[in-house]
Amino acid sequence: MNLPLNGIRIADFTWVGAGPFVTKALADHGADVIKVESATRVDVIRMMHPFAGGTPGVNRSGYYSNRNSSKRSITLNLKNPMGLEVAKRLIAVSNVVADNFTTGTMEKLGLGYDTLKAIKPDIICLSMPMQGAHGPHSQYRGYGVTIGALSGFYNLIGYPDRDPVGTGTNFPDHVPNPTHACVAILAALIHHKRTGEGQFIELSQFESTMNLFGAALLDYSVNRREVTCLGNRLPYAAPHGVYPCLGNDRWVCITCFREKEWMALCDVMDKTHLAADSRFNSLTGRLKNMEELDEEISEWTSSKDPFEVMKLLQSCGIPAGVVEDSRDTLERDEQLAARKHWAYLEHPEMGRSVYDAPPYKLSRTPGYLRSYAPLLGEHTRQVCLEDLGMESREYERLEREGAFK
Amino acid sequence: MISVSALDGVLVIDLTGLSGAYCTKLLADLGADVIRVEPPGGDNLRRLGPFYKDDAHPDKSLLHFFLNTNKRAVTLNLKTEDGKNIFRRLAKRAQIIIETFSPGYLESLGLGYSSLKEINPSLIFTSITPFGQNGPYRDFKGSDIICWAMGGLMYLGGFSDRPPVQGYEYMAYKTGSMHASVATLIAFYHLDKTGEGQYIDVSVQECVAQAMENAAQYYDLEGVVRCRQGLRQLEAGAGIYPCKDGFVYMLVAMRGTLMRWDELVDWLIEERTPKADSLKDSKWKDKDWRQTEEARNKFYDIFTDFSKSHPKLELYEKAQAKGISLSPVSTIGDLFENPQLKARGFFQEIEHPELGVKLLYPGGPYVLEKTPWRIRRRAPLIGEHNTEIFHYELGIPKEDLGALMSAGVI
Repeated sequence: MNLPLNGIRIADFTWVGAGPFVTKALADHGADVIKVESATRVDVIRMMHPFAGGTPGVNRSGYYSNRNSSKRSITLNLKNPMGLEVAKRLIAVSNVVADNFTTGTMEKLGLGYDTLKAIKPDIICLSMPMQGAHGPHSQYRGYGVTIGALSGFYNLIGYPDRDPVGTGTNFPDHVPNPTHACVAILAALIHHKRTGEGQFIELSQFESTMNLFGAALLDYSVNRREVTCLGNRLPYAAPHGVYPCLGNDRWVCITCFREKEWMALCDVMDKTHLAADSRFNSLTGRLKNMEELDEEISEWTSSKDPFEVMKLLQSCGIPAGVVEDSRDTLERDEQLAARKHWAYLEHPEMGRSVYDAPPYKLSRTPGYLRSYAPLLGEHTRQVCLEDLGMESREYERLEREGAFK
Repeated sequence: MISVSALDGVLVIDLTGLSGAYCTKLLADLGADVIRVEPPGGDNLRRLGPFYKDDAHPDKSLLHFFLNTNKRAVTLNLKTEDGKNIFRRLAKRAQIIIETFSPGYLESLGLGYSSLKEINPSLIFTSITPFGQNGPYRDFKGSDIICWAMGGLMYLGGFSDRPPVQGYEYMAYKTGSMHASVATLIAFYHLDKTGEGQYIDVSVQECVAQAMENAAQYYDLEGVVRCRQGLRQLEAGAGIYPCKDGFVYMLVAMRGTLMRWDELVDWLIEERTPKADSLKDSKWKDKDWRQTEEARNKFYDIFTDFSKSHPKLELYEKAQAKGISLSPVSTIGDLFENPQLKARGFFQEIEHPELGVKLLYPGGPYVLEKTPWRIRRRAPLIGEHNTEIFHYELGIPKEDLGALMSAGVI
């Protein structure tokens, strides 16, 4: 099938969490993404749980596989001059080079932007270090969760009476940083198409993450207000929260933004007296008496299955949704199933395993998972011979001399 | 020097609310001409706080200020025939339309993709909805927290003795918006290459589901349902720790792997932290020990004994000099004092002439060397560009605009 990014080749030096999600979206939509890996210093995420069957192995991690669909993998020893030379030959036939190393790493390897430009004058180069290329903290290190903490995001999630708790994940690695980087690469590709000009893109993961809560930043800069965690509340909706259901640690989310939704909820719960109760008959009242309100609702939800509550409330026009655990998203959620969100691919070592399909559907040129996540170095020979035009003898010589380690 | 933008000359009609305004902001800040089409009186987003000096006026919402930079705005009642006709004239000129109405709503007005592509065959039309345009939950009512919950992400966050907890400032909707920008630009690249437009269906639930980290794979491969932990530390050396003026987040151990543990222990000993030398014991190199409650508590007590007497910025700079991955848990106020952001000039003053002030905005998420991100103008006032767009660009006579206004069309 003809995909929109067919013909774009990406020399992909990204690893661990955030970078690979950038190139996944492009690969699933047709870009030829060639992941440059090291066989000696293996991408750490290849050795992180979960593993197929629980058995560790560089080609068995689901953490790695999900964000590396549709790509090819070559192993190069960039500290070996011949390995570096192969990298340069790859860059010479690429449109985009991407990395998420600490600032200065590509330069130290001999792959700084000036070098890349000399090899390929119209190259688009994405660099996404934690804090940008310059400034006193540009060498600092971190991971998704510490970027979340530094950026102020972590501090905004939790309850007003407790330490902040964050999302429980490396959220900046999964959403703001890869999607912002993707937007930037696509904008640069569009500019290149019009002018033939490449460019350098710098994405500071710290700054990118801060764009998630611009209104909170303005509230401080304008009103000097330091916002705090809201728990599960919102200042203009009540009820708005999460309520216990039947089963172990099961919850349903219910939100009423309109009076008629609240009245409908009272009806469904068979608690019409609450609609007339002076504590609850206005938004102001419900916000003020939130704890009692939550108790009334919890009393009703706690004996019911969360999917049952969701469907019943939705059928009465009340916004409600199950707090789904991972098993629900894979096995019980009829919507994700109907939309084929989960793709199961056969993998030579992992067997059949689950991946996220693109979360958006383009009607004419839909992206899809073109292949399972590559085995470490699976395509080294193929890329060298077919894409870089190497003779087998040259390939074998380089292999003997350690270029592909 | 005239600065070039990547999306110069791209006209985007913006029919988005809370779940899509960040998508069109990303396009506008890269140079697209984004026109927000709002109902007369302005849209609901303008009614959400926080507000400039807490004045709840629809031209003073700080949420609107942030989400609608660089955009122009017109008012148009799409339920009237005249309103529909004017909208069609706008749509004919646009390359992209982005909307967040319930599935089928624009179709019911005769303004859906199937009608508009008749007058503009190469149009890109992006719909962002909580659950997508098909499937059994298509017509379910959503909200930000519901999308966070049904995408499976909420279950992973919070304290084990309390319910799972939501994101902040419409994080699920922004997740959908960011993915929608990517999808729209992929389609635009295809349009540039082939002249073909298309329809894009974005489900916020699916966008959130992709952010479950590894939870789907954990269940699929190991049969483990990940749940929220909300512990102070996941293992000794990984988690949030109080300090003199707040908290720091440290990672010297990550899922069993140690990172600069020795450097940390030496530092604690250097600082004469009581019992720090006990961390030299080889058992601390064993992840099974570090993950026990006893080890976590011991480490926590020793480290916080030290951290509680030092401010977060000092701990941050000292730890990082030793290569230890420790960051402050920044408050919003801290960010305005952050040395790195200051040195990089991250915050930018944007003029609001009608308020007579310049306000400090966050800078962009990226720096593009040749086609810079920039804020050219503050978010639009209600109907600010009615005359400019309806009269000067669409050629509607000024006297007709007056009549349309009294008829409640604009």
